[in-house]
Amino acid sequence: MTPSKPSFKWRKVTESKLFFPFVALAFILLFDLIFVPGFFNFSTRDGHLFGSLIDILRNGTTVMLLGLGMTLVLATGGVDLSVGAVMAISASVAAILMNPVIIGVKLPPDLMKFINDPNFTYAPLWEVILVTLIVAIICGLWNGILVAYARIQPMVATLILMIAGRGIAQLITNGVRIQIFYDPYAFIGNGWLVLPFPLYIVAFVFAVAWLLTRKTSIGLFIESVGVNFRSSFFSGINEKRIKLIAYTFCGFCAGVAGLVASSNIRTSDANNIGMNYELDAILAVVIGGTLMSGGRFSLLASLIGALVIQATTTSMYAIGVPANAVLAIKGLVVIFVILLYSEQVRGFIRRITPQKEA
Amino acid sequence: MMRSMGAFVSNNRRFLPLSATIALFFVAYIVGAGVYDGMRDPQIFLNLFRTSPFLLISAIGMTFVIITGGIDLSVSGVIALTTVASAALLRTGDWNPWVVMLLMLAMGMALGAIMGGFITYLKVQPFIATLAGMWVARGLCFFISDDAIPINNRVYRILGQTKILIPGLSDPVTKQGDFISILVVVMLLILFAAIYIAQYTRFGRTVYAIGGNEHSARLMGLPVNRTKMLVYILNGFCSALAGIALSIYVMSGHGLYARGFEMTVIAAVVMGGTLLTGGAGYVFGTLFGVLITGLIQTLIQFNGQLSSWWTNIVVGALTLIFIGVQSLLFVEKKRRTGGRKLAGEEAPPLPRATRTRQVLLYSGGAVILIVLALLAINGAQNAASGPSANTLTPLSVSCELKPFRQDQAASLVKDGAAIVYERNGGASCIDELYAIYPDGRIVGDDGANQIEKQVTEEEVNQLLAEISARGWYTDEMYSTSHVPCGQCFSYNLSVTYQGKEKTVEAVDGGTDAPANYWQVVSLINGVIPDFSPAP
Repeated sequence: MTPSKPSFKWRKVTESKLFFPFVALAFILLFDLIFVPGFFNFSTRDGHLFGSLIDILRNGTTVMLLGLGMTLVLATGGVDLSVGAVMAISASVAAILMNPVIIGVKLPPDLMKFINDPNFTYAPLWEVILVTLIVAIICGLWNGILVAYARIQPMVATLILMIAGRGIAQLITNGVRIQIFYDPYAFIGNGWLVLPFPLYIVAFVFAVAWLLTRKTSIGLFIESVGVNFRSSFFSGINEKRIKLIAYTFCGFCAGVAGLVASSNIRTSDANNIGMNYELDAILAVVIGGTLMSGGRFSLLASLIGALVIQATTTSMYAIGVPANAVLAIKGLVVIFVILLYSEQVRGFIRRITPQKEA
Repeated sequence: MMRSMGAFVSNNRRFLPLSATIALFFVAYIVGAGVYDGMRDPQIFLNLFRTSPFLLISAIGMTFVIITGGIDLSVSGVIALTTVASAALLRTGDWNPWVVMLLMLAMGMALGAIMGGFITYLKVQPFIATLAGMWVARGLCFFISDDAIPINNRVYRILGQTKILIPGLSDPVTKQGDFISILVVVMLLILFAAIYIAQYTRFGRTVYAIGGNEHSARLMGLPVNRTKMLVYILNGFCSALAGIALSIYVMSGHGLYARGFEMTVIAAVVMGGTLLTGGAGYVFGTLFGVLITGLIQTLIQFNGQLSSWWTNIVVGALTLIFIGVQSLLFVEKKRRTGGRKLAGEEAPPLPRATRTRQVLLYSGGAVILIVLALLAINGAQNAASGPSANTLTPLSVSCELKPFRQDQAASLVKDGAAIVYERNGGASCIDELYAIYPDGRIVGDDGANQIEKQVTEEEVNQLLAEISARGWYTDEMYSTSHVPCGQCFSYNLSVTYQGKEKTVEAVDGGTDAPANYWQVVSLINGVIPDFSPAP
């Protein structure tokens, strides 16, 4: 009935990696449109944009960052469970660089005031960021070496750092919850340049990842390793190095996420920073259509996947669901998304869209 | 002859991770007992069992799941849901506790069945399906109740506090001496049942076959789908039972219990020698994985210098070592079988020598445990339901979190103290209460000792002014809820200044308290005297 040409395009749209994440996001926003009055309102205060949609973007930055790194790892057919722990480690490193004296030492009150000073930092900001990211990259390298060179199953290899990571983070700060009073650092997570500052960080990391994977052959290699690492090896791809790059980049992303998260809450909170975020990140990537068995990936789809998660959470808060109970809703959304992706449902969608091409 | 030799070698290989685990446990225990006199007390050994029922029960279920090559991340959620749901049902006292327990077990099995159905029939990755299950279960807890619900049930109390004295190590007349709890007996019964199921039933063999190679198991005509479903149902059952054990142990239910517990369980299973790729592993090894986890905690407690987060680091390191050993074995196995993974290698029919050895090992282990259980049942007649307060903090049995001394604080405020500062918790569960008087006198009290310090009146005034300047008396300074936490401190701070009095509470590790609160706390920390660290 329908002309063949548009139907061909329609199929192309439904087959696109971006289609399902967008549909999911649209569902949630539609829900908000109906049930939450004023959800789409914007306001400006001091030249900053405010509104629920901006909140979704702002609160979603950590998961978006983690999702970028996780996309590459999942695309190689692996998984990184340690991102939450790496976030905690990097937050601890950053805090200790700014406030080293706090460790286990009771300070005289005059120095105590000094620490509360928003302009006081022990190490300069660039050093804090650099050292933190280096530590995070080392964590990523460790995972990569275990997976690629020691040939340990990815889930198990990263489980080690996941278990030990929080202990290490607490070891760094000696179990103390370090307050961060340094204002320029707080800008990383709380700053505004019309839009919230962390969004620019996400854009930057996304650009780096995009250039790395789509303007060099690394992206193609990652996909081929994910599809079949053995045949990639036989066709001359150094699959070990590709895996190492993916895990290292994931560690880097987790480090950036740790900086954003710790500056957001202004503490190094080794117990809670990044708790369960590994699961959110994996979920974001899976919603974005990257299979957990590896292969084709889309960075943009993962970002939208992260937004789907955050939009669900924000909408639940908006209609007054208690914070902890949101988890249950999130679980149901996951199940819904899984069903959306299952072969049965995909087959059904294919059946209702016209089959004839050309 | 050659064949039996070959079988012997392959036997040794297969048992290597298991024997390594067992050897490690005993070596660590003997070393610990050599270094710390206190560890020679048999009760410390029994405590390893007494504190681990929930961990072992859920690790047994997890062992089956992992042997099939799957994973179940939902255990902690199901455990938390069980504690909350049973506490909520028991609150009114209308429900028979035994009925509640049966209901909880049915609920756990139902949840397991749903997740198993997703995994088996919709081909969802076990990781994702059980993750969703965990979120749903944990979220449901908060639909039931936001706060911890205490359990005040006679049956639960008896189950939790009955001491089963060990004959020979205790005095039945005075009802003193070394003991275990009823939960330990339950745990051991579950363990025997699981060993039997895994090794001597058709279901158990199918589980191993699926883990070895699911596809060939299917081609062999084994009921793969049904078995996978049953494995997840079994794990749901184990999680619910572990949840009941936990609620008996802590006598309350809360949605935040057992956070991150699934990782502890998985680590214990891996340390017990089960291969995470599936197909190999022993339930009996899981027992030692669990005991090693407990032993690490005990050693760290006895050391006293190391903080409890070292547990995480050591468990991580041990997991790494075990995985290293396993991957070495795996590589060897692959080499021996010519690079191909043999379908269902661990599955029956096993060589006769293997079976003999297996039977010997398990019957040996079983005999020891049966003797233990018999002793326990014997001792049950001497059981005393004495008022032993079993108020260990959930899952970190290192020390007991003490409640705020509200009354004492109130009386100090009435006495004219300008600041009353109480801090409790932390890795060694301190409980410190300080009163700062306007004349500069500071009196500290940690429950056992008193400490005094004199500062100038000027300093106190300055401190009070600073606190006030940070918005102490505005709405910006609010109390945040008191949630139990392993290593963090909780604070209760009352400040009286210029005729106004206000008390604010908060907990480290909660990120919801006002940022200025932490500044105030750090200001006061700079002034108060220090108790010399406990030996």
